[in-house]
Formats: sequence, structure tokens, C-alpha cells
Amino acid sequence: MSDIKRITVRRQKIRKNYIKTKLIFLVVLAAVLLAVAVFAKYLCPYDPYAQDLLQAQKPPGPAHILGTDRYGRDMLSRVIMGSTTSIFATLVLVAVVTVTGTIIGIICGWSGGKVDTVLMRISDLFLAFPSLVFALAVAGVLGGGVQNAIIALAAIGWPKFARLARGLTLAQKDSPYLMAARLSGSSTPRLLVKHILPNIAGPILVTAVLDIGTMMMELAGLSFLGLGVKPPMAEWGSMISDGRVMLQTAPWMVLAPGGAIFVTVMIFNLLGDTVRDYMDPKERSGR
Amino acid sequence: MGKYIAKRLLQMIPVLIGITFLSFAMMRLAGGDAVTYMYENAGTAVPQEIIDKTKAEYGLDKPFLVQYANWLGGMLTGDMGKSYVSHKDVFEMFVSKLPSTLLLTLSSIILTVLIAVPLGILSAIKQNRWIDYLIRFMSFIGNSMPNFFAALVLMYFLSIKMRLLPVITTDNLALSLVLPALTLTISMASKYTRQIRATVLEELNSDYVAGARARGVRGSVIIWKSVMKSSMLTIITLLALSIGSLLGGTAIVENIFMWDGVGKLAVDAITMRDYPIIQAYVAWMAIIYVAVNLITDIIYHYLDPRVRLGGDGA
Amino acid sequence: MKKQLITALLFCAVAGGIMSAAVLAEGKTFVYGTTGYGVQMGDEGLNPHNNYSGWSALRYGVGETLFKYNDNMELEPWLAADYEFVDDTTVKINLREGVTFSSGRAMDGEAVKECLDHLLAVHDRAPGDMKIESIEADEMSITIHTTEPCPAIINYLGDPYGAIIDMQYGTDGVEGDSAGTANVAGTGPYIATNVTETQIDLIKNENYWGGDVKVDNVIVKTFSDASSLAASLQTGYIQGTYGLSYDSYALFDGNPEYTINSCATSRCFFGQFNYDSEIVQDEAVRKAITMGIDREGFCTVLMEGRGIPAKAAFPSSFSYGNEAVTAPDYDPEGAKAILEEAGWIDTDGDGYREKDGQKLAVRWLTYPGRLEQPKLAEYAQATLKDIGIEVDVNNTEDHLSIAESGAYDIYVSSLTTAPTGDPEYFFTTCALENSAKNRSNHKIDAVEELYEKLHQEFDKTRRGEIAVQMQQAMLDESAIFFVSHLNMGIVTKANVTGMAAHPCDYYEITADLDVQ
Repeated sequence: MSDIKRITVRRQKIRKNYIKTKLIFLVVLAAVLLAVAVFAKYLCPYDPYAQDLLQAQKPPGPAHILGTDRYGRDMLSRVIMGSTTSIFATLVLVAVVTVTGTIIGIICGWSGGKVDTVLMRISDLFLAFPSLVFALAVAGVLGGGVQNAIIALAAIGWPKFARLARGLTLAQKDSPYLMAARLSGSSTPRLLVKHILPNIAGPILVTAVLDIGTMMMELAGLSFLGLGVKPPMAEWGSMISDGRVMLQTAPWMVLAPGGAIFVTVMIFNLLGDTVRDYMDPKERSGR
Repeated sequence: MGKYIAKRLLQMIPVLIGITFLSFAMMRLAGGDAVTYMYENAGTAVPQEIIDKTKAEYGLDKPFLVQYANWLGGMLTGDMGKSYVSHKDVFEMFVSKLPSTLLLTLSSIILTVLIAVPLGILSAIKQNRWIDYLIRFMSFIGNSMPNFFAALVLMYFLSIKMRLLPVITTDNLALSLVLPALTLTISMASKYTRQIRATVLEELNSDYVAGARARGVRGSVIIWKSVMKSSMLTIITLLALSIGSLLGGTAIVENIFMWDGVGKLAVDAITMRDYPIIQAYVAWMAIIYVAVNLITDIIYHYLDPRVRLGGDGA
Repeated sequence: MKKQLITALLFCAVAGGIMSAAVLAEGKTFVYGTTGYGVQMGDEGLNPHNNYSGWSALRYGVGETLFKYNDNMELEPWLAADYEFVDDTTVKINLREGVTFSSGRAMDGEAVKECLDHLLAVHDRAPGDMKIESIEADEMSITIHTTEPCPAIINYLGDPYGAIIDMQYGTDGVEGDSAGTANVAGTGPYIATNVTETQIDLIKNENYWGGDVKVDNVIVKTFSDASSLAASLQTGYIQGTYGLSYDSYALFDGNPEYTINSCATSRCFFGQFNYDSEIVQDEAVRKAITMGIDREGFCTVLMEGRGIPAKAAFPSSFSYGNEAVTAPDYDPEGAKAILEEAGWIDTDGDGYREKDGQKLAVRWLTYPGRLEQPKLAEYAQATLKDIGIEVDVNNTEDHLSIAESGAYDIYVSSLTTAPTGDPEYFFTTCALENSAKNRSNHKIDAVEELYEKLHQEFDKTRRGEIAVQMQQAMLDESAIFFVSHLNMGIVTKANVTGMAAHPCDYYEITADLDVQ
């Protein structure tokens, strides 16, 4: 019996180390991505805003590795420049939505009663509000720009997380270990932070990280409605929207920003998974 | 249970009023009105007197609260008004277009479940094997592709290159359904595969599975009996959550494939500021959404042993 | 229960599909995809007396007007034989003999009077345009009395709302049409059998007065997405398109399987300076901006050759169009010199000029409804940057309320400047102090005076001359700049003939249409 235990412990340790290496690797990748976003200005081979109609719609080649767009701007430079807006706007949006949603969700799940009912009805209100109508209305009231796009999407985005967090909190609330913790006299904030949060963080984190891609897309959709970035600012989503009709004639105009989104989404997804594995108190052999 | 449902239905009323009021207020704040847009779109200009006269006909010159009260009053008597643009009865327009959207939505949900559940479970039980990596890789692609882009790619390969499917909705409904449904499924299935994988992993690592394992219950039995049942919770929650976004998300796809549903109707109405239709759309979506959520909550109630039995489920 | 529901839904959908199914009879069939038909355009249905639906009646060969425009936008009799101004307020129109409505009724003076009376009673724009006091019907002629001299009345009769239909047949639609989308009995080469908001099914009019109609069935289908329109043409599902996006032309240009037919229309993209805003009150700034926009590059590269550089509000096919006026060419060096002279100099080295501590930055307001406009804004942003002007683009659906609020320096929009082949409309709409679309909020005395003259003038040549003077007066002040005229294109499969783009955008499907 003790032999088996020892082997399990060792296996756990190996796995833990493996996860740790993976985590470090992915953190480095994400850091590189963020560094590109921060220092984009210095990394562009060309001025991402310099138009040259003589060079318009050139396919990828030695001069322009990713080709040029319809204004003759270098796609590589625009993709690099676009990382700033795309990555930061998306991260801010996801963070706002996740944090607000989770806090409200935990409050609802924990306190129940009137508070729960009122907050949940409010969340229903925003959740059931067709996003298209909402975004357009916000664009009309507040005007365009990235901040307003974030506000619009955050307003309709948080209830999803609130509901998720509430459901998870409810499931945890009556679990035996929580009862035990409660009986042992832990204060409510302590219970929430020490016991509930770590236990529900996994699914929420996974959802949040998965949402990075979706949110990037939604921001793109808003640029299309005139609520996103203002021209000539480079942003991946609007670059895709802009190039979509050229899919047959100049596919690189879509594939370059599309590829950038793909890489970003993948890195953040893998990072999310690994963080979950790493944080999970129940992490065992994985099988 | 009956009492619970009645209570939830009652709670629906303030939500509906809240939503319709909010949308009413926001669209008014957003500026622009159907009459001006209608003339604007046609590309010619008309004298201001004509615009004002038409506005007065629609009651657009009245104060905002009066407009809302009129609308709400009509709504309560089952009259959703007439479109400013096409002058047709809004309720009838919706009823005639709703089946198409529901068909599209249901097909993509079914397709999503058929794809995401097996792949998600497979990915979880084969964690960190090549099949897991492959499934995850595909889901990343699906996840980083906007709907309209997926639509164009599918259109390019399946319609233009292979000539298998019609580009837009034709008389052959089954064939016409494939492209729009597939488009909607791609991003949803990618998302849910990952969610289900995460949930199943979570369950596989839970105490009761370990317990069952220790008691010698076979792996496949554990998966089918316990894990599936618990994972259903997540799946149902997710599906309920996505009904709203899905019903709204059909708009772009309906537009591209000329699928004649409420999504397309709504997009047209929004660009035209056709308030009665926008209001009706918001109200319909809200009703559907609230109803689906109620059903979900009831199912949730039945499915989750922890919620129902209060603690001794594990 | 659930199964039943799904079955029911499926059934509904299938039934809906069958109902909208095309009636594919024998003979030649032509399927036409367009982005120009539908509720959004305000032209759904075929009833010319409703909103813009007359456009559809004309475009799809169901209705015809008393007068039509030729390729030079000059009027020619169509259902009319000829006309004569008896005095300033009276015009007598003789009608063509031997024309019958698709309902079987013969077209005579009484039928035309019924139709026009109904038009004046129910239509929103027609009464104000034509200023008709009364109409008398004779056997094969009508006499129209106007409340004031209205030289343009013949032009207005050529507007799609003037399509002549049989009022006895009515405008309520075919029997059993639950959608209630209006069908009408016109005199054109085609008769509609089914009209919905997204599709019109047409069959050949066997008794067409204008000769033999070559194609037996035509289906007009509306598209809301330009990519699916192009894809449908590629797959052969449709044989002709209207409203293809510029970016798609590359797929069909130079391909022997397709024919591209295009023609400059009077849809003009232009910018107006907001005189209420201080920065563009400086004439040097206005002039520099006008000179800093590269029309040629915009039209050939960004509009992929589907645009024609504009100097005037009207295209070259008009006697008072492009060539008749003088406007500055693209001249960045000249623009720089003008700014320099006016004291706008880049003192802080940021690439943009300043004067008295104020940066040379302008707010450019436009809307995305017309795809060319955001592109123009983005392109102008770059060319103006070269001469030291910063452009802040506000591209929004909500442009109208911002235009009302005055928070812009340049308003860029587009307009069909001569929908009736007459110049007056453009000036009424955009140039006068109280014009609805005078976004410069500015009165030019010369223009106001000339307009009074134009309004009274019956002589066509004189009208053209006045129109030139008016445009020149606006250009001389740099109050307005014209960028491009739209080249409307119809792309068809190579085996389709007899389909030509027309400068006024009214005529698409005619008796000449044929499929080989």
C-alpha cells in the first residue's frame, strides 16, 4: 500500500514539473506577444499607415512578406501594429467582463433571496438584449472609438460570467467541505475567497480565455458598424472585415490578420488550460 | 414546481418591460429615425415638410414617453404595430419568419451537440495524446474565425469549387440549410468541445470518480453513467446561454445566405431604424431567452444531484 | 411533443420554400441577382405610387413611363407620342397608339389620367415636384395644368413614379398573395406572377407593343451580401448581377465567360465644407484640401476603375457636366504652397501644420452605407497628411444627427445628382441656403440668384448654361468638392445579351434581353 502511494506521489511530482515547464514556456510566449504589442511601433519594417497606391494589393513577396492591402500598405507592419489595439482592447474587455461577472455571480449564488433575484433579473435583461441592437445604440449614444466598443461589449458580456459563477457557487455552497469550513467558523469573505473562488476559478478561467477569441471577433464586428477603431488605425478584426470581399482575389489580406488572431487565441487558450491544471487543488495524475 | 414556474413567469414581466424600455430609450437616444433613413437610403433628397408629415403620421413627433406608452399599450392588446418601412403588420411578419430562424438555430444546436460532445469527451479521456492535440488544434481554428469568414470559406470550397451546395437559399431546403447551419456550428462546436473537455476532465478528477475507480467500476461505465450525467449540466447551461447569442448571431449568416429569418429582418430594421420591428425583435428574443432559461433551470434542478439532494450526492 | 414540434417547423419551412419557389416553365429563363431591390431600398413591390417601388416597376420591365431617358439623359417619348407646352402652365401630351396594359385594358387618356390622379393623391414626392393643378383626358391625349410654370414637368413624368399602370386592376397585388406585396398591371415587356420582398417572378408579355420579347421567364432575386452575389454568379445560379462590389470585378474582368457592361451614372461622391466651423472658414484650408485629394488614384485603384473622377456634380454625358467647369486638379505641391502662404506652417515637426497655436486638423464626417465613402476617407487621410493636414474620420451610421449637431468640418456623402436628367434637383437639394442637404450651412449669393433664373427657364440649353455657372460659383469659393461619379455595372454570363447599364439606373430588364 505504501509503495503504491509513493509511486503516485512521484508521478504527481513529475506531472507537476511538466506542467510547470509548460506553464513557463507559455508565459514566455504570451510575454513575447505582449512585448510585440507594446513595442509594435519599433518592430514594423514599414510605416503601417503609409499608403502607396502603386503597390496596392501586391501578393506576398520579398519586399512585402505578407503582401499589401488595397491602399498599398505593408500587411506585416499592419499586423504588428494591429497587435497593440487588438490584444490590449480584448484583454481589457475580457478582464472587465470576467471580474464584474464573477463578483456579481458569487454574490448572487452565495446570498440568494432578493439580492439574487434582482441581480439575476438585471443580468437576464442584458443577456436577453440582442447584442446587435445594443451595440448600435451605444454607438449612437456614445459615438465610435475603442473605449466605447469595450463599454458596449462589457455591458452585454458580464451576465454570462455572472450566471456561470452563480451556478458554480451554488454547486459549491452545499458541498460537504464547505459545510465543514462553515461549521469551523470561517467568516463569509474568507469562505468566498479561500474556498469558493479557487474552486470555481477553473471553469471561469477556461471560459474567459476561450472568450478572448470571441471578443476579438466581436470587437471586429463593431469596427464594421463604425463603433470600433477609427481609420487608419490598424486592428486585426477590422482588417479581416475589410479584406473579406477579397477572399478570392487577394486572400492574404484576410489570412495575415486571421493568422495573427489564430496564434493569439491559441497561446492564450493553452495558457489558460495550463494555468487551470497548475492551480487545480484536485490535480492528480491527469488520467 | 408549479409555484416555482408561476413565480418565474411573474418575474419575466419586469424583465420584459425593462428590456423593451431600454431598447426603446436607446434607439431614440441613438438618433436617426426611419423616415429620414428611408429617404436617405434611396439616394435622393426630399423636402423637409414631407419628412415632417410622414414622421407625424407615425407618431414620431410625440414625446418619447408617450411613444413608449402607446407601443406598450398596443403590445398588451396583441398589436405590435406596423412597420414604418413596409407598412406590414409586425406580428405577422415575425410569425412568418420565425420558423426559418428556429429551424436554423435548432439544426446548428443539434449539429453542435453531435460534434462537440463526442469530440470533447474523446479529447478528455485521451488527454495529451495526438488525438487530443488534433481536436484542440481544430477548435482553435474554429474559435479564431469570425462567422462571416467561416461562411465565405465554406461558400468558396463547397459551392464555388466543388459545386455541392447552393450559395443562397433555394427551393431545396435541406441543401440550402447546410451552409448556414455549418457556419454557425463551426464556432459553437469549437467552443463547446473545449468546454466539454474541461468539464469532463474536472469530473474525471473528482472524488466520486476516484471512488468508483477504487471500487473497480470500469472506465467506460464511469464515463457513461457518472461523467456524462454531470457534464450534461455544463452542456445545458452553455446551450441555454448561447440561445440568446445564437438567435442574434444568425443575423449575419442569414444575411449572407439570404436565409429569410428574423435575424435578417432585424438587421434590416436596425439599419432602417424601423422601431416597431426592432421593438418586436427585442421582445421576441427576450421572451424566447427567458423561456429557454426557465426550462434550463428546471432541467438543472432535476439533473444535479448536488442541488437536489443537498450534499449527500457524492 | 418535441418531435412533433420539429416536424411542424420543418413542414412550415418546406412549405415556405415551396411557396417562394420559382415557377420554372418551359422556354428561356434568366435569373437576375440584385442588391438594389428590397425593403431597405424602399422599392419593394411594384406599385409606382408607393415610395420608390416605381424603380422596381421600371427596372424589371413591368412598368413604363410617358417619357424615357436616352443614353445622354435626354428625354424621348415612350408611352407618349409627343408633347407641347400650350402656355407656361399647360402642357398637352399625345399618347402612343396600340398600347395595352397586361390586364387587357387599352391605354388611353382616361387610363393615364386615372393613374396620374392616383399618384398625386397618394405619393409623397410627386405632388411637390410636378405642381399639377388638374389633368384633362381626351381620347388619346392628356392636358396637364400646373399651378405655376414648371418646365421640368416632362422630366418628372419620366421619373419611375410616373410609370403608367392600370388603376382598374389596382395596386393591391395578385390574388391569394398573402405577403400583400403589390403587383400591378403595366405596359412593359414582362408581367409579374409573384412578388415578394425578396423576389419577383416575371413572365413574358405576349402582347407587348414594342415587339417580340425574347426571354420567357425572368426571376429577380435580391441579395444583401456582395460576396454571395459574386459567388452565385460564379456557380451559375444567376446569370446576371446588379450591384456587384468593386472588389469582385477582378473575378470577372477579362474572363471570356462573362460580360461587364458599365456606364457612368449621375451618382456623385462629394464633400461639403461646414462654414460654421472656424478652421474651414479659412479659404486656404478649403482650397488645399480640395487640391490634396487624389481623385484619379481613388477611382482607378480603390474603386477598381468603377469610378470616374469628377470635377462637377454631373458626369461628362451631360452638357453641363465635368468638362464644362474648372476645378483644381490633384496638386499636393500647390496645396502646400497655399497653406504656407496663409501662415500654416509645421513648427513643432510632428508632420502637421499649425497656425497661432492651432493644429491643422479637420473632422471628416461620412457614413458606411456606401462602401466607397469610408475608403475615400481613409485614402484622403493619407494624401492630406502628406500636405500637413490631419484628418479625423468619423464614419458612422448616425451621420445625420451629427450633421445636425454641426460637429464636423467636412461632410462627404453621395447623391444621384440628376435623377430626372435635369440639373435643378441637385441645386434644390444641396446648394441653397435652406436646402435639406446643404451641409456647408452657407449661402452663396450668386448661386441663390442664378437659381431663381434656373427655376423660371424653359430653354434647355439656357438651363444647362445656368447650371454650369452655379457649379462654378460653388467651386470658386471652394465650398464643395466633387470626387467621383459611380460607374454602374451589370455583369452577366457571356451568353446573355441585351442588358445594358444605363446612366440613370432606371432601365435594366428590357425586351432586348436575350439568353443564347
